[in-house]
Amino acid sequence: MTIIHVLPRSARVMLAASLLVASGSCGMALAAGYPQVTGARLAAAASDNGWLMFRRDYAGNSFAPFTQINAHNVQNLHEVWSYRSTLKQGYEATPIVNGRYLFITTPKDHLIALDAVTGKVLWKYVRPMQGVGFKTVCCDVVNRGVALYGDDVYMATLDNYVVALNATTGKVVWQRQLKPADVGYAMTLAPMVLKGMVIVGESGGEYGARDFIQALNAKTGALLWRRWSTPAPGHPGGNTWPKGMYAHGGGSAWITGTYDPTTDTLFWGVGNPAPWLAKLRPGLNLFTDSLLALHPRTGKIKWYYQYTPHDSWDYDGVNTPVITTLRYHGRQYRAIVHADRNGWFYAINRVNGKLIYARPFTRATSVAGFKNGLPYTNNALRPAMNKQVFTCPSFLGGKNWWPISVDPMTHMAYVPTIHTCMTMKGVPTFYHPGLPYLGESFEVVHDPADHHWGALQAINLDTGRAAWNHESDLPWDAGAMSTAGGVVFSGSARGHLYAFDARTGQVLWRSPQLSSGIIAPPSTYVVDGKQYVAILAGWGGGTPIWGGKMVPAVKQIPRGGHLYVFALR
Amino acid sequence: MSLPCGNRGARVGGRFAVLLGVALSFAALGLQRGEAAVPALYTAAQARSGERVYEHHCASCHGKQEQGLVGPALRGPIFASVKANYTVRDIFLFLSVNMPAPAPGSLSPLQYVDVMSFLLRQNGFPAGTVRLTATTAGSSAVPLRYHGGAPAPAVRAPAGGGCGRQAVRSAAGAGPAPRHCPATPGGPMPRALR
Repeated sequence: MTIIHVLPRSARVMLAASLLVASGSCGMALAAGYPQVTGARLAAAASDNGWLMFRRDYAGNSFAPFTQINAHNVQNLHEVWSYRSTLKQGYEATPIVNGRYLFITTPKDHLIALDAVTGKVLWKYVRPMQGVGFKTVCCDVVNRGVALYGDDVYMATLDNYVVALNATTGKVVWQRQLKPADVGYAMTLAPMVLKGMVIVGESGGEYGARDFIQALNAKTGALLWRRWSTPAPGHPGGNTWPKGMYAHGGGSAWITGTYDPTTDTLFWGVGNPAPWLAKLRPGLNLFTDSLLALHPRTGKIKWYYQYTPHDSWDYDGVNTPVITTLRYHGRQYRAIVHADRNGWFYAINRVNGKLIYARPFTRATSVAGFKNGLPYTNNALRPAMNKQVFTCPSFLGGKNWWPISVDPMTHMAYVPTIHTCMTMKGVPTFYHPGLPYLGESFEVVHDPADHHWGALQAINLDTGRAAWNHESDLPWDAGAMSTAGGVVFSGSARGHLYAFDARTGQVLWRSPQLSSGIIAPPSTYVVDGKQYVAILAGWGGGTPIWGGKMVPAVKQIPRGGHLYVFALR
Repeated sequence: MSLPCGNRGARVGGRFAVLLGVALSFAALGLQRGEAAVPALYTAAQARSGERVYEHHCASCHGKQEQGLVGPALRGPIFASVKANYTVRDIFLFLSVNMPAPAPGSLSPLQYVDVMSFLLRQNGFPAGTVRLTATTAGSSAVPLRYHGGAPAPAVRAPAGGGCGRQAVRSAAGAGPAPRHCPATPGGPMPRALR
């Protein structure tokens, strides 16, 4: 095994020591210049100089306190290094940074460690995939990045392994497979580390998997608890399924959750039920399309909130539930905010699971409104065999997985948005392990009232209403990040990284066109007092596969992955 | 277990040789029978037509050589495996209502049958004189297995600083051996597109 250390050992030790001071953490052991990632550092990740987890901190805000790059000088950003990968599928990983170590993942689960300052490759791990057919991966063979803990880095894979590797060498420490490959399950999410556990969720809602959230011991890989998202008979929610259908009921958990230390609650979103055609599975189909509030030590459900009851439109409820506070109608709330696939922006009391408000952030007709704090659907817009409906948003959502950012300074949420509707009708289906299990055919089309495919919009947390809106002729498929410098960063399908004024939405800076379109979230970090912004370009994901009428508009976007890192001149 | 000495070993060896010979004979026979048993479900003209439809509507996701890209490979021993246990009916019913992904069900019935014919050809099914129809494809319980014929998709080295001939190390714990690459430079940045 080889690792290139880009600095002499003395410099690495000094660097690590300075990082310890910078992060305000004391007493941490060092491993070959790698600042150990303790539970205390993860708990304080919001103020760390690195970017230690998927959405920067447990709250999921993706807000960085750095001000060196700000609204006044962001136009002076320039590229300082880049790394190219020629795999042609989609790149959805957030660059994760600890000290001078920057980690990215690529399609098909390659994991690369680079020097965060120079871009030099330190090591690379290529997941062996011999014998894996990628048959039950719906929306491109993507990976959304890693988690860090101690001296290890964790990746979840398309063949359902959780892999722990030494962060400085790339050597596998342990690996554990949760399900066989190609029979309905796959993992694409960035793991979460919490209280010494690695927590992941399975995908497979399009293939009749029975999905789950899984906690493992971070040091050993031992299985700790599993939360099935479709309960069996006799368990809470088990009576919301027709006989036996929970066993192939989907409920994938394919996006990383968040954690609220004030209530000691792990929040995790659950995806669509299977098959898609709801008439085949009468009932509420809990806990699909729901937010789960879990005891982090046991996985037991404290409460849940179902965003879309008895879903027939593939409105996964997995989008990141962001922990924040807001004031609504004169009352202060400890809240979760969440922009759902069904087109509604939800504010939920994170203590008791009660709805605070919900407002549409794009055209939303399938979920028609709310009564007593719960959503109700327009039953006329439910497809059936030989009955075609037209409804909004499309199954790709008012927003797909691309994470929002919440800025505590502006009190706004920055929401990647797509403006689509769809036709949808019931078709025959049957369950067979390793085959799709849909029961519907469909086509994504324009929202008749908005012929921009996408937008990045800011939503006022206290009202749920749009504060500003940046429209895009192409879909906006990338995550958002905000900073204390008053800047919101997000990338476009054309391959420009944008910097918006956080308060007004004015475009302050736009990068030169990168080598491909952007579908990943950016991150930012500070090394030796210098702030960097990192973004993966690499078009792909669900839009070019399932995007219907959007597909011709994005067909010419070049493919290939490219990590770009920017800093001030 | 240890074998006793003396003639017993020779007898065992002799029996083994006989059994081996019988087994090889059966294997050869079975292979011939297996080859003969692969049914001809489509015509060559249908497969040729299906190839054109595939190139236009399927290759962007599944690869120009059906090797898989953002969608799975549609040819070879991993796709058409005993483990997957697909029948011709299984694949045809799915593809004819849910493919191509951007516009499911948008092809004509004839085009779907032709694409199915093409996939059968690419997985080593022989062409015959009887045309495949939507009815025969949609009711066929013939196991979809890879029978060779068209070459399996090439296994390509991973791009972007792939490992080349780096040694495969043993995995820690169960599971496939990880492939680990030493440090490689990122390479020059290509010119950004303007």
